[in-house]
Amino acid sequence: MAVTLEKTTKPLNGNQPRAGVPPPPYLGRSVRIVGPVANVDMNQSPHPKNQRGELGKALFNWYRNTISRDPLTRVSAPNHFADRRHFLTTVINQASKGKVNSKQVPVTDPAAMTRHIKAVARYMGADVVAIAKAHPSFLYAGSRYVQDGTAADEHEHRSPEELVQKFPYIIVTTTAWDYDKLQAHRHFIGDAAYHVSQMKGVLILKALEGYVKELGYTALRGVVTPQAAGVASGVGELGRNGLVINKAFGARIHMPDPIMTDLPLVPDEPVDIGVEDFCKICRKCAVNCPTNSITFGDKVVFNGIEKYKINWLTCYKLRPYTHEHWVSCLSCATVCPFTKPNVWWRSLAVWALSTCPIPARPALVHALKAIDDRFWGVVSQKRVRWLGYDSGIKPGEHACTVAGCTAAHGPDSAKVAGDIGYYAPLKENTNRFVKRGV
Amino acid sequence: MALRLGPLKIPWPRTESRDDDPYWDFFINRLPADLANSVTELIRNAPEGNVFPTKADLHTPEITSGHVKELARYLGADLVGIARLSSDDEEGYPFAVICAVRADYDPRQAAGIGGQVPVQNGLFITFVLSAWIRELGFRAAASSHPNAEALAAAAGLGALNPNGRLVTPKYGTRVHVADVIRTDLALAADG
Repeated sequence: MAVTLEKTTKPLNGNQPRAGVPPPPYLGRSVRIVGPVANVDMNQSPHPKNQRGELGKALFNWYRNTISRDPLTRVSAPNHFADRRHFLTTVINQASKGKVNSKQVPVTDPAAMTRHIKAVARYMGADVVAIAKAHPSFLYAGSRYVQDGTAADEHEHRSPEELVQKFPYIIVTTTAWDYDKLQAHRHFIGDAAYHVSQMKGVLILKALEGYVKELGYTALRGVVTPQAAGVASGVGELGRNGLVINKAFGARIHMPDPIMTDLPLVPDEPVDIGVEDFCKICRKCAVNCPTNSITFGDKVVFNGIEKYKINWLTCYKLRPYTHEHWVSCLSCATVCPFTKPNVWWRSLAVWALSTCPIPARPALVHALKAIDDRFWGVVSQKRVRWLGYDSGIKPGEHACTVAGCTAAHGPDSAKVAGDIGYYAPLKENTNRFVKRGV
Repeated sequence: MALRLGPLKIPWPRTESRDDDPYWDFFINRLPADLANSVTELIRNAPEGNVFPTKADLHTPEITSGHVKELARYLGADLVGIARLSSDDEEGYPFAVICAVRADYDPRQAAGIGGQVPVQNGLFITFVLSAWIRELGFRAAASSHPNAEALAAAAGLGALNPNGRLVTPKYGTRVHVADVIRTDLALAADG
């Protein structure tokens, strides 16, 4: 049963569909457009709100005025740096835009060009690449959204409908986070998995944008909601945790800013890999979320879209409290049963789920979830050692577990044994963010 | 590409064929009409950041070298080595970290965006790695070096052939030596 939530922002098109608006697109079984959709204004999204100080002093200071104590975070996270010039994404986003090549490469066979663009993205190091057919509801309202840069292009004044007519395709390209490092989520090791692959993804998309322009076609950035394009292009299905869940990588993929283009391509279709059936039963992310931001209940209709809705504010408000230990929580992505190494037994499970007739799927999901709980645990707590970090050490505990280390660490350094990762017990600490009895 | 056997997709590593791709040569060889469309240019032109004022706690030089190499591999380097620089280095850097990536096409001949992909990957590694060393509190400078291939050979990545090209055991000459990171981080030299 879907419940309709109140929506404070007025839909751009009132309650009547505008003339020239194409019918709502099919987005797979996990997301359904049921009513008029107000295009999302990125200036009302979490990070811009926080940059304006609208989420309170603690969050503002966390975002703008804190420097991480971790050197790798200072070079790879989108904030908390000591020197902005050390963050590659800043360099890439602030670069001047290249011109579209005036000598256009003719495309006779869009299918061949689609294969080519996908091969190019993979050659540059992308893990997932897919093409979506553009729809006005995927586009941001208002201005372009490119962090730390300008996205001035001559199409900025156009309405979503005009843009979709002129640039009918969206190239969604993304990178996956490293599985082994992600096991130490809620730790700087998990942050490294997340942030480093994000930088790589931004680099690949910038290079691909340049290449599309060299082919003689326009490439617009900061226009499209990545999740919408991801679901429409069949990168994955939208899960309970609000993340696009991919066939090969699960939730451990980035959704960076896709490319909207007029390059003739053949769009992909939404996929059914059983996420819809799994999320109805599993709830592992909701159990593990340290802030209870993920719903245990059913889908709701929000802004005309039927989906599981997370509470972004409580999710976001956790961050200043954990600043000493990590930047990005990633719990919901890590515990997701779809987030597994991309190997044969994983392909087999996803294949079994996606070929199973839909009425028989709940039984299979119960079985798969039991296997997942048995072998990966209900709460993920794996110890990972990498680059001198060790997720088995309690924060603040003086211990050195680096193999071969002969440095003198003082008499109070503890011996740490075992294979279980240490996580700060957040569930108790952070319930203060959750409004009860509403 | 996976080989498809009926409904079961058995992962079978096979190199992607470029023969049926009419645009591949354009991708590899055509010099960009506007160099602003090339990512390599903009990373090269990026200014160097400051050294973090507090030096990080480090272990022995051997362990630090291990960490540097581990991070370089994680950032995508196929080969990484550390060479000791001769004392006449004008800025007094004692060590050089040399990263190399596999290059299917020689970036010196293939001028297209595709031909420059190894350079792009190399710049990603050297940019982040040198920034990380500066954030550890030590000086580091990533720049293209005239003797990069000789330094790579000195760091034990391979040997030089009579043309002065680096030949590595794993990739032969199909390898691109990225910018050299010169640093005063206490490291243990290879080779």
